Amino acid sequence: MAFLETMAKLIERYNSFFTEGIVNTLIIAAFSVLFGAILGTLMASLRMCRIPPLRWIAVAYIEFVRGTPLMVQLMFIFYGLPMIGITIPNIPWIPNFSRFAAGIVAMSMNSCAYVAEIIRSGIQAVDGGQMEAARSVGFSSGEAMRLVVLPQAIRNILPALGNEFVTVIKESSIVSVIGIADLMFRTNDVIAVTYKNLECLAVAALCYFVLTFVSGRAVSLAERKLSHGK
Amino acid sequence: MENKREILKVVDLQKKFHKLEVLKGISTTFHENEVVSIIGPSGGGKSTFLRCLNLLEQPTSGQILFDGTDICTIKGKAIDHCRQRMGMVFQQFNLFSNMDVMHNLTAAPVRIKGMSQSDAQEKALELLAKVGLADRADAYPSQLSGGQKQRIAIVRSLMMDPEVMLFDEPTSALDPEMIGEVLDVMKDLAESGMTMIVVTHEMRFAREVSSRTIFLDGGVIGEDKPSHELFSHPESPRLVTFLNKVL
Repeated sequence: MAFLETMAKLIERYNSFFTEGIVNTLIIAAFSVLFGAILGTLMASLRMCRIPPLRWIAVAYIEFVRGTPLMVQLMFIFYGLPMIGITIPNIPWIPNFSRFAAGIVAMSMNSCAYVAEIIRSGIQAVDGGQMEAARSVGFSSGEAMRLVVLPQAIRNILPALGNEFVTVIKESSIVSVIGIADLMFRTNDVIAVTYKNLECLAVAALCYFVLTFVSGRAVSLAERKLSHGK
Repeated sequence: MENKREILKVVDLQKKFHKLEVLKGISTTFHENEVVSIIGPSGGGKSTFLRCLNLLEQPTSGQILFDGTDICTIKGKAIDHCRQRMGMVFQQFNLFSNMDVMHNLTAAPVRIKGMSQSDAQEKALELLAKVGLADRADAYPSQLSGGQKQRIAIVRSLMMDPEVMLFDEPTSALDPEMIGEVLDVMKDLAESGMTMIVVTHEMRFAREVSSRTIFLDGGVIGEDKPSHELFSHPESPRLVTFLNKVL
């Protein structure tokens, strides 16, 4: 009971910390999901294209990104690249732009690899006979893709893509290591002031859970809408 | 038969998958209105041969003259164009599972030939009635039986008014009680004068409906003659063995 009371008090007292953290977490996650989805779609088409060298590049990228920790990728971009002169410029009217940009770049590049694999496997799971039948009546490969294969692939892709989006929200907690004031970072601030480790972390966990649960529901709602709308 | 138009003329057709030689030089000619069955043991190259005819497989060498043009050398749009003039029916039906029956039938004529949706629907209903499925126009493929799917797949090809129809074991994936309904449709089609090339295990169909039968074995043509002759007087020992096994 005392535990819950402490949590309630923490939320009441440091509510501006947690709110700011949540807002920043959502900003990072939203942009990462957006860019991750766009880049992932491009990467998937590269991964499946007819020119072998382009395909190899995509395979190498996907394998490498999925095979290394996000933490390393993030630090590589934010601390590593400036060592060889590659820096993200600061924009004066957006506070902390370079940090946020580094976080979003790292997370989108990471998510892009997973999204690419989700899209590729969704498309390849469609029975090859569908493509052949479409070609046999005289559709070009583009038309066959658009009219027959992709509408079926979407049904495989959406659920996994929804999961990926929810994962990005959770994984974004890692950007706190480069000093972005996200939920995790602000939670640590509150811990530093109050020494209430357990309660603060419980509050953070609760916040993350609400975020992922709500967005998970939203995604499955969208899924149902999209698969009925045909 | 000699004075009929040559629709497809195949000259020394070869197909290799890496090192595996599946077709080792096939030559034959298909004339207008002809119904030809292709029989033979599994792995003998029947399906590969059929799939080469509409370039679902690219032949390794040889010629396929479709209405006088060698289609082995064409590319891109020309291939699409050539396939629009050939119907293909698959063993696994391959109806577009994201579309209902009506859209399965109208998609190609509307988008490729520029037919109006209403004309295409009218035509689709007419053809559906002929195969006894006019009441299933709104169904999705998953709601149909195998026999119904295959009859619709045949109609889908017919919607494009093909000059020749290719059938790749159209009844092999069907439950026995549904084979008859599909064969009946094919028989009607044959009687209407459609040029048909049918890879099949249905020896009765080959014998009674097709005018000519080709025995394909080990990537070469074993025998190629009028069906009644091939079935009543098989010459090569391989064909005799094969017929003994399947009849």
